Amino acid sequence: MGHPAASVAAQERQTDVDFALIGHQENWRSAADVLAVLRGNERARLPDEEIREIFPWIPPRAVCHVEIASATGAKARGLYIDCFIPPDRLDCAYVHDNLCRVRAAAACAINRGAKIVSLGGFSSILIEGNFNQLPHRTDTIFTTGNTLTVAFIVQGIKKMCALQGREMSRSTLLIVGATGDVGSGCARCLSPLVKRVVLCARNAERLRTLVAELEADGSEVEIATRLEQESFAADIVVCAASLASPSLQLGCITPEAIICDAGYPKNLRPPENMTGARVFFGGLGQISGGLSFMPDFKGILNRHPFPDVAHGCLLEGMALALAGRFEPFSQGRGFITRERVEEIETIAALHGIHLAPLFNAEG
Amino acid sequence: MESLVSLNCSEQAMCNSPLPTASIWQDILAQAVTGELMAAMNYSSLSTICDEPEEVADALEHAQGEQGHAAAFAAEGRKIGVNVPNNVNARYWKRIREAFMRCIAERDFMACLIVQEIMLESFAVASYSRVGKAGPGSLGKTFAAIAAEEEGHIEHAMEILRAERAKDPQRFDDKVYRLHLDVMTTLTEMVAKECPNGQCELCHSSCVKPSLSEVGLTTVELRGASLQQYLKTLDALGLPGEVTLQWVTQLPV
Repeated sequence: MGHPAASVAAQERQTDVDFALIGHQENWRSAADVLAVLRGNERARLPDEEIREIFPWIPPRAVCHVEIASATGAKARGLYIDCFIPPDRLDCAYVHDNLCRVRAAAACAINRGAKIVSLGGFSSILIEGNFNQLPHRTDTIFTTGNTLTVAFIVQGIKKMCALQGREMSRSTLLIVGATGDVGSGCARCLSPLVKRVVLCARNAERLRTLVAELEADGSEVEIATRLEQESFAADIVVCAASLASPSLQLGCITPEAIICDAGYPKNLRPPENMTGARVFFGGLGQISGGLSFMPDFKGILNRHPFPDVAHGCLLEGMALALAGRFEPFSQGRGFITRERVEEIETIAALHGIHLAPLFNAEG
Repeated sequence: MESLVSLNCSEQAMCNSPLPTASIWQDILAQAVTGELMAAMNYSSLSTICDEPEEVADALEHAQGEQGHAAAFAAEGRKIGVNVPNNVNARYWKRIREAFMRCIAERDFMACLIVQEIMLESFAVASYSRVGKAGPGSLGKTFAAIAAEEEGHIEHAMEILRAERAKDPQRFDDKVYRLHLDVMTTLTEMVAKECPNGQCELCHSSCVKPSLSEVGLTTVELRGASLQQYLKTLDALGLPGEVTLQWVTQLPV
């Protein structure tokens, strides 16, 4: 068996880079597992203290090759690029440093000739869809992946309501983080399906703009800038707020509410006395044709209870690569419409990328 | 230990009121002086395998420059009232020199550049920059200035090495990896939190590493910055990031 340099370097030269996925680790356990794979089985795992000391110094870079297989038989090859943002520095105090890391990761993708790049996790949130913050490039396209994320959130809500026998047309939908790209996209897609929509976000002006848009479509809409403000009695909840702080506490929802945790990181815990609430992680898809990594990071980079599951934000770039559509499908904020969601759903489905089985922190 | 090379220590130039942390700076300067002297020796050896007269002159000029750096560091030691020793036969430096001389024996000019410019200079640039920020007065400024000069050396070598890599990337990367195993293990041990094999044979009494915090430095920072610079240098050379990441994560800590 050749040493790592020979085998991986040879692969790098043989394959085109159709796509790149930019992401980061959510917690120190994941970071430790990534380093353990890189060190190989013959070396002892690094102590936690060493990992916390070393990790922040690693410059953003490719970690492994990724291959995705389509239901049509086509394949796309790419790279997973990690920003190496320390998991305890995902909050706003480090926004400048983290932006630098995202840009450096983007530069890696450009230098490797990636045709399309998906921005996963905080990397997408940090630049808020504003690709002007990314390095200059001519042939590399970026997408936030938010449209496919919205598609999977909406599909997940519909599926959970069907499983619970919940009639959506009688429901009150609460969207937390409603004016974000994902939140507003969910609002446009779900408001026609429910009786009443409550939009919650910090920016009142953006809320009013979104309300006007939805009301023009015939929806009944209310707004709130704080969750504790009043009694919503929401029985369907989409949490699309991006907070790196401890669990988002919900009040003012019905005891058996269906709750989609669509934020990043997944930080939602309903109140302890609401044992009837059904929480599931939203925005996740599954690739029927399979997803492989070289070195083998299966179960490490995609740490989910089902195989070949990944976040919609990453899957969008891969789906577009399989379709040969190298275009910035999702960018900016507020442009996710029902039509765009249907379009990306069709592209993804053609290549065997579907809603993942529903699960939460318990499985 | 004794000084291998005299650097014109003048008793009259010694400061009369040493810093409280002078002994710590003495050990830091000892590593820097030894590293620069080793670089001078390496460039002198490199001149013996150069084919072109211009290359010979260039290598010798480089050697002279590194000798100048060593002298500058020694002078900073005198300013704070310490005599800075050097020892190119100290445990880790000896191993690095031996690795370099193996490249000389093979007449492998590119390997010599990789060891000296990519590996050793990366560490020098990163650690000197950190010391430059922490060091008092002219001592800090000297470290910062020499860091900047060394960065210029790296860039010149990078042009040569990129051109070499372009001829056969696989072969080039394999060569870098072999040298990485030979040299970087030693460098990593040098900047580890504790010297894994006992005294480095350069610190004048006990190991200086536990005392670095008294002068605003830590081994964590020095090690992290050095490995980061090394990875970035390899990135700039064009080596795949996922490959070099594995190399570095497999180094001893």
